[in-house]
Amino acid sequence: MENEKKLTKKDLWKVFWNQMTIRTANNYERQQNAGFTQAMMPVIEKVYDDPEDKKEAYDRHMEYFLTQDMVSALPVGISAAMEERYANERDFDPSTINSVKTALMGPLAGLGDSLLNGTARPIFAGLAISLVSAGTGWVGPIMFVICMAILSLGVRYLGVFQGYKQGVSLVAKFQSSGLISRISELAGIAAYIIVGGFIPALVYLHIPIEYTSGETTIKIQETLDGLMPGVLGLLYTGLMYYLITKKKVSAIKLIFITMIVGIVGVYAGILG
Amino acid sequence: MSILLTAILVALFVTIAYIDSHTFQTHIFRPIFVGPVVGLIMGDVSTGLAVGVTIELMFLAVIFVGTATPPDPTLSTAIATGIAILGGGGTELAVATALPVSFIGQIATTFQNTVINIWFMHRAENAISKLNTRGLVLNNTVYPMLTNAVLYGIPAFLAIYFGADFVKGIIEAIPDKIITGLSVGGGMIGAVGFALLLSTIQVKKFWPFLFLGFFFASYLKINMIGIALLGVICVALYYYLKIDDQNANA
Repeated sequence: MENEKKLTKKDLWKVFWNQMTIRTANNYERQQNAGFTQAMMPVIEKVYDDPEDKKEAYDRHMEYFLTQDMVSALPVGISAAMEERYANERDFDPSTINSVKTALMGPLAGLGDSLLNGTARPIFAGLAISLVSAGTGWVGPIMFVICMAILSLGVRYLGVFQGYKQGVSLVAKFQSSGLISRISELAGIAAYIIVGGFIPALVYLHIPIEYTSGETTIKIQETLDGLMPGVLGLLYTGLMYYLITKKKVSAIKLIFITMIVGIVGVYAGILG
Repeated sequence: MSILLTAILVALFVTIAYIDSHTFQTHIFRPIFVGPVVGLIMGDVSTGLAVGVTIELMFLAVIFVGTATPPDPTLSTAIATGIAILGGGGTELAVATALPVSFIGQIATTFQNTVINIWFMHRAENAISKLNTRGLVLNNTVYPMLTNAVLYGIPAFLAIYFGADFVKGIIEAIPDKIITGLSVGGGMIGAVGFALLLSTIQVKKFWPFLFLGFFFASYLKINMIGIALLGVICVALYYYLKIDDQNANA
């Protein structure tokens, strides 16, 4: 038995830095494949000696790969553990490495998009906006960037180091404990509250119509605000939700339609 | 500061912001940060903050899942801030500028992902099949990041350098009602982002929480920091009452 080639802390830090390039050459043919390969480069260069083995390993990782950028660090860490084991033990079919990556792509993408981009980022941005509106100048924007930087680098650090440490057992644990469905329950609650709570401040429709009957002038907007402030924003969001989920209208189209509704509404005098 | 230097500095910052969005993702590329930085370069931080906040609101919840390319928030904020400051037109002018530019940025990103990066990816594959790790790094990281300067830095430079009068001319030619309409539409666009976000939630049975959040904000006027705390409380309650209990009983 020749010397075992184990990855050191220093190697994993190299993986961590190379993982940053996961989407630098993001492309619609195979998405993050070149980035994933660069992330694996320190591992492959370390654990394999035979050029043929290296070539095979690089080919493996040039296959299609796509998940959320930050959480992609986890499959990177797990793949590092698997490549290391395969190089030393040769006790499994190396195509398993890609099967594990593929199995993780979907759930992680859903988790990363809804938890990081969909929940954490809007919360931090909303707080930053509140701070700017309170007249604190740079405090909000700088806080936002610090929070997001900690999140981005922290998730990647945990992904690479924990993914490597726990390796494939992490995937098994994920699946058996139903951890992903648990996290998505908690993320679901947070997302619903944040969206509901942010709508009154962030989706604004104002109807300037008023009419006079006898002595009193009735302003529609004031009446609506008396009943339920922000109700128009809630209804419009509901309509958009209906169109996205039930009618499968793309978000880009809805953005265009919304702008046109705004212009038409102003011309017709019903929005302002 | 001369307009040439100003335009170069804005272009430089825009390029760095795109590199960040493709690598470390410290999020200096978001409108909330791009606005005040461009404001700082151009000597009017308060307009920068105002524009940054307005455009951040427009794009707050716009997340695009998977392969979809979202309207671009970075280039649009940089140019809109620059135009607002040069044109002295306030945030309405900025909103009217931001939206069309965000679609131009989106086209640039699509071009980058379809044509440019596929080409680089094949060069990277070619290099690494000869075990040339330097070629992999150059084609996966260095060259694609340099193209950010061409795709986003140069348009930002041109818009600031030549743009002021040009864009001002165009915007003056647009009827007031359309500009108002664009900013009215901009106020409603958050609905699309929120609807998109809601459609990605996997556990639909929690929908009453949407109304809990809404009623706290609507009737009780709780601000966004309060809403975030309410979210933390509800998540913690659910965790302790449901998940933790279940685990203890199991």
